[in-house]
Amino acid sequence: MDAEPEVLDELRRLRARIPQLTGALAASVDGLVLAQDAPGVEPESIAALTAAALGVALRMTDATGQGDFRELLVRGIHGYVATYAAGRSAVLTLLAQDRVNVGRLHLEGRRASTRIGELVDEAAARTEPPPRSRPARSPTTTTARAAMPTRTRTARSPASPRSAANARTTTEG
Amino acid sequence: MANTETALKEALASIEGATGVALVDYTSGMALGTMGGSKSFDLTVAAAGNTDVVRSKLRTMEHLGLKGQIEDILITLSDQYHLIRLISGRGGNGLFLYLVLDAKRANLAMARHQLKKIEEDLEV
Repeated sequence: MDAEPEVLDELRRLRARIPQLTGALAASVDGLVLAQDAPGVEPESIAALTAAALGVALRMTDATGQGDFRELLVRGIHGYVATYAAGRSAVLTLLAQDRVNVGRLHLEGRRASTRIGELVDEAAARTEPPPRSRPARSPTTTTARAAMPTRTRTARSPASPRSAANARTTTEG
Repeated sequence: MANTETALKEALASIEGATGVALVDYTSGMALGTMGGSKSFDLTVAAAGNTDVVRSKLRTMEHLGLKGQIEDILITLSDQYHLIRLISGRGGNGLFLYLVLDAKRANLAMARHQLKKIEEDLEV
């Protein structure tokens, strides 16, 4: 992922803004680490667990009619784990001490996840050339072409003798 | 006794010059209720930020070995007053009322007095 340095910058900025953060990582929704700044934990396993928790959270919001997933907050005795949706294909997971200001954690987490979502989605759009656009376009043009001539022909047919004569004279001359 | 919504409404309506008010839990930094404010003045941002103010002051007092309680904190801007009143007793521990006043219209002494009464009546 070529957005990695920018995402990492965002994670570092986040940790500077909230001193009580003990770790921050961006992962894809399928559980792969995109960028991480989380010393003392295994980022790969956190990313994998995030994907699993996300699966349950998605079903939960879906089953209760709360719409698309936005965020997930888990609190243990020693602190918080917060996961925020970041664009269509990524999530931001933050680890924080118990004494963190949760209001601030949410404010900064939401802001950063929006930014990371933009970075990741942009990078995904750049690396994947749109393969669907061509085959999707060609059938529509052929159907349009097939439909148009029959209509114009039937419309023209009554006036065809004159126009055909004119056409012949111009081509001959 | 007034519940959160009634207390916030009363603060906004009866205190001259009040433009926004919030009840904030400073153990989490999240607002239990907000009223007033505007698009450019987000009270949830203010709640989180002023939680840091309250926590910082409490920590400083602890370091100084001061035994007293904070009653209120006043922040004076060029055109606004911000009043933070900590809630004491009746399960209101860890909460504060945050009041934004327009400096031109407000009477600070009266606002402090009224906010104290609202705080005493508040049942969370």
